[in-house]
Amino acid sequence: MSDWAGVFIFFTVALVFGAGGILTSFLIQPRRANPVKMEEYECGVPTIGPTWVQFRTSYFLYALLFVIFDVETIYLYPWAVRFNNMQIFTFIEMIIFIFILIVGLWYAWKEGALEWK
Amino acid sequence: MTPFDFSIPINPSALTLEMLVAALGLGILILGIISPKGARSGLGWVSFLGLMGIIGVAITMWGQSGELLAGMYLLDNYALFWKITFMVAAALVILGNMRYVDKVGNQAEYYSLTIFATLGMMVMASAGDLMTLYLGLELMTIAFVILVCLRKTDNKSVEAGMKYILLAGMSSAVLLYGLSLLYGLTGSVIMLDISRIIAMQPVSPALVLALVMIIAGLGFKISAVPFHMWSPDVYEGAPTPVTSFLSMGSKAASFAIILRLFITALPGVWENWAMVIAILAGITIIIGNLVAMPQTNIKRLLAYSSIAQAGYIMVGMVTASEAGIKGVMFYAFLYVFATAGAFTVAAYFYNVTGSDELKDYAGLSQRSPLMAAVMLVALLSMAGIPPLAGFVGKFYLFKTIVDGYLWLVFIGLIMSMVSVYYYLRVALVMYRDEPKDPSPINVSGPVTVTLILTMLVTLIIGIYPGPLSEVVNSAAHSFFLH
Repeated sequence: MSDWAGVFIFFTVALVFGAGGILTSFLIQPRRANPVKMEEYECGVPTIGPTWVQFRTSYFLYALLFVIFDVETIYLYPWAVRFNNMQIFTFIEMIIFIFILIVGLWYAWKEGALEWK
Repeated sequence: MTPFDFSIPINPSALTLEMLVAALGLGILILGIISPKGARSGLGWVSFLGLMGIIGVAITMWGQSGELLAGMYLLDNYALFWKITFMVAAALVILGNMRYVDKVGNQAEYYSLTIFATLGMMVMASAGDLMTLYLGLELMTIAFVILVCLRKTDNKSVEAGMKYILLAGMSSAVLLYGLSLLYGLTGSVIMLDISRIIAMQPVSPALVLALVMIIAGLGFKISAVPFHMWSPDVYEGAPTPVTSFLSMGSKAASFAIILRLFITALPGVWENWAMVIAILAGITIIIGNLVAMPQTNIKRLLAYSSIAQAGYIMVGMVTASEAGIKGVMFYAFLYVFATAGAFTVAAYFYNVTGSDELKDYAGLSQRSPLMAAVMLVALLSMAGIPPLAGFVGKFYLFKTIVDGYLWLVFIGLIMSMVSVYYYLRVALVMYRDEPKDPSPINVSGPVTVTLILTMLVTLIIGIYPGPLSEVVNSAAHSFFLH
């Protein structure tokens, strides 16, 4: 058995696991609809008003800006852990990296992405 | 080496070009933030002069070679030639279309993204491992997505952007599947290691699947048939300067990476695939040229013609020899100039008249003899008419496949003749028909320079291909030295 057989078994089990559940429920489910059955169950509360609403693009912009800081953290953390025994080159490199991120934030700020209009 | 060892020996001067281009892009963005709106049209000159300076630096680096980070980044004449090609393409696009960009607005974004796209291409040209390849590819693609929908208020531009991001995402996913299978088979992402490991294994079905997916993923980028459906719509909807950069830069970069990936990483395997590439090239040449014929929009016509051109360039990939690589690079370089010429005319014409329709080009030779002449030279060069550069390029490409793939040579020849029909149709409209609006078109200074430059280069390479041919020879030779 090669290493790939493991991948194949994993794939098959995943497929059977998903399809099996749907198939079993299809076979044994009661098919009569009643008001209780049609209610939302563990899926949140009944909606009020039309459900097709538009979201503000500002949410999206904030999410994008969040990514800037997110990425910054990912790279800053290992850098900070090794801060004590580091060459000056690595230090300057990180300063440049942060500078590039700040330019991005600066640009977004200037373009008004931080204002909730 | 501990897992967190940061002291990987790296020589920063080897990355001078990439750092300069990144600094230029960032600088343009910062200048755009701090300068008042009225002064932003000057950013075009800053980016143009900056790129020219970096091209100068690049030329002094000719002959350098080496590997960075254990083969992750390859430096040789091959990569350097492509980098210069990309920067020349970007510089031509910027110089020829400043007024168009001023009309669209968002100059800072336009120029900095053009430069970042160039940076992505340059990373691709030097990529020595699969991750660097993908990183460069995505940097280029994401910059292009934004550029394509830069005309935010134009529905066509936004539609083109949507189509481009969806298909680019899909092709990237397919490519990544292929690359991850390759990694799974060999346990390495470094191309030089992959080639060593692949050589020891028999060809497995997983490798075939990986190759199919990589060809499909990169086939999208070069818009080879049957992966070409996105390109006419995107080319038509995108702002014309972006279209021109997309059709020369993005395509050239994808060719650079295809050659590197298949010849460096999969040397023994590639020979079995030559027939597949030959068939794809044949179909691409046929479909591109045939569908170009009925087009009435100049951008769509150029889009289909660029699909056909991609087919011609693929011919050079079939043999995967030094001569083939040389043909690809030679053709890509002159294709940059022909495309820049044709699209600069189209962009300037749109700027003046607001139309991309072929029928509005009627009598262009009377309204602006220069524009008509440049368009004619560019189109005839693409068709491969002898005194022009396109002929020499096609000669180098098809010369490599005369032994063994004669049918492809015939397809190429016949379809080149077919393509003359629709290229000359444009010429007929420009030279024979009477203009509806006979007012002359005044071509501004930078555009005149771009147009004359593209025309001269196309003519000179056609008559005297020696020097470029030698440069390309040296670049193709350095490809096999790693």
